[in-house]
Amino acid sequence: MVAALTAFWPDKPENDWTYTGGFAIACGALAVAIAVAAFAGVRFAAFQRLKRLFPWLFALALFLAAWEVVTAKLGLLPLPFFPPPQAIVEVVIDDWGRLVEGIFASARLLATGYLIGATVGFVTGVAIGWSRLVGYWIHPILRFVGPLPATAWLPLAFFVFPSSFSASIFLIALATGFPVTVLTWSGVAGVKSAYYDIARTLGATQRFLVLKVAIPAAMPHVFVGLFMGLGNSFAVLVVAEMLGVKAGLGWYLQWAQGWAAYANMYAALLLMAFLCSGLITLLFRLRDRLLSWQKGLVRW
Amino acid sequence: MVAVIASDHAARGSTLTLREVSHRFDLEGQPLPVLDRINLQVGRGEFVALLGPSGCGKSTLLRLVAGLDTPTAGSLVTDGREIEAPDPSRVVVFQDPTLYPWRTVWSNVALGLEARGLLRTHRGRIEDALRLVGLTGFANAYPHQLSGGMAQRAALARALVNDPKLLILDEPLGQLDSLTRIAMQAELVSLWQRSSFTALLVTHDVEEALLLAGRVIVLSHRPARIKAEVVNSQPYPRHRGDPHFVELRREVFEQLGLDEAW
Repeated sequence: MVAALTAFWPDKPENDWTYTGGFAIACGALAVAIAVAAFAGVRFAAFQRLKRLFPWLFALALFLAAWEVVTAKLGLLPLPFFPPPQAIVEVVIDDWGRLVEGIFASARLLATGYLIGATVGFVTGVAIGWSRLVGYWIHPILRFVGPLPATAWLPLAFFVFPSSFSASIFLIALATGFPVTVLTWSGVAGVKSAYYDIARTLGATQRFLVLKVAIPAAMPHVFVGLFMGLGNSFAVLVVAEMLGVKAGLGWYLQWAQGWAAYANMYAALLLMAFLCSGLITLLFRLRDRLLSWQKGLVRW
Repeated sequence: MVAVIASDHAARGSTLTLREVSHRFDLEGQPLPVLDRINLQVGRGEFVALLGPSGCGKSTLLRLVAGLDTPTAGSLVTDGREIEAPDPSRVVVFQDPTLYPWRTVWSNVALGLEARGLLRTHRGRIEDALRLVGLTGFANAYPHQLSGGMAQRAALARALVNDPKLLILDEPLGQLDSLTRIAMQAELVSLWQRSSFTALLVTHDVEEALLLAGRVIVLSHRPARIKAEVVNSQPYPRHRGDPHFVELRREVFEQLGLDEAW
């Protein structure tokens, strides 16, 4: 496989060469780097793991090549809407200041809202799951208000809150908080009563039962809630940025579209995809650390 | 571990008195009596077995002794004090080992010490308890990596680490295969002999009751009443084929109403 890849790979840059120098050189450099890695892989164990990625890299190269061909080379797709890849690279290079600013604005908004929502949701979930009294009062509210999409609050939030930033934080926290609350609650409520019996006969206090029995036992559920919350928060983030906040990738997306700058739009989309998938990966890592005890119990 | 316990407690094991204990459950509005005026006196360091058909209320009785539930009527007294709530001096080993899957064997055993804030000062006891049940090499294993017998040993270690005065055993060997079961029965006896806590064993296995206990209390069908008491004063280790043992076993089966089948 490695040999086949090395044979095919260098073909592509030649293909691109005549069109945009910079892009082609970058592609060529990448191809050469991967080819070198492929050769090295025969000898060094460290590169062996990269082997798994080769079919994907190959497919990616084919896709880029096809994209290049149908846009820049043959012009099969209408131009302002479907720019060639080098146009996107150009945007990233020329407009990086605004894009980086956008990433930071989005990340700040998302992080604040998500952390607030997750924390509040977690605490509420534990409280509902643990205390009958809290459950009595919070549960109906949750039932009634929870299923409402957070975006439905948008018009209200934007005039109730002093700034669009705080309104967006509220919305993101709301979108995150609901699934986290419900799943934490169901996790805590579903803890086997035998676990409590054991701890009680060993002299556990209420505090110990909550912190050391209920919460760890509920953690797998909590993580499902955290994942769902993260997904929801992305959606709300983009909507909030498109409609109210004057910064961030969502706003950039809207702005670019307004100027018919489609290359900028694709660049922002691409960056957003990286941001979101990066955060999901981060959450997966956290789960793997905290719930490593589940290995062997469930399909990992 | 043994030395630690011995030096800590000159008076080992607690007494247990049950006076006219009755209990009933509410089943869809219908009262379901499970225990009917149980009277029982257990001496310091005694090993008593409660034997009865399944579903007769044996486990309910143990939950009352553990303090997990309160009886509908009557009183339970240990060492002169009424049992009102669970107390680490009375530890239960359940039929299901119920180890916490998110904790390693070591920290499962540490549970009782941690709950009482003694982990820092009595850390060494965990190692001792693990050694006592033969799980030294498995301190860092997770419960799902253990076999049924090993998990039950870990549960036993989790109980013993608290240095109980009364060990409550709720069919602790019920889910084990017969070979592991026989080995664990012998281990339980030697643990009891060395640590000399008072032991209360619930079982539906006649042989197990007679092998382990000095006194076997035979309970009736629900609602459970005490039907008979069989004393086995044979020295340990006891042998299943011993004529006196066989005679006792016949007697117990008779009490359970199974003499003809036997």
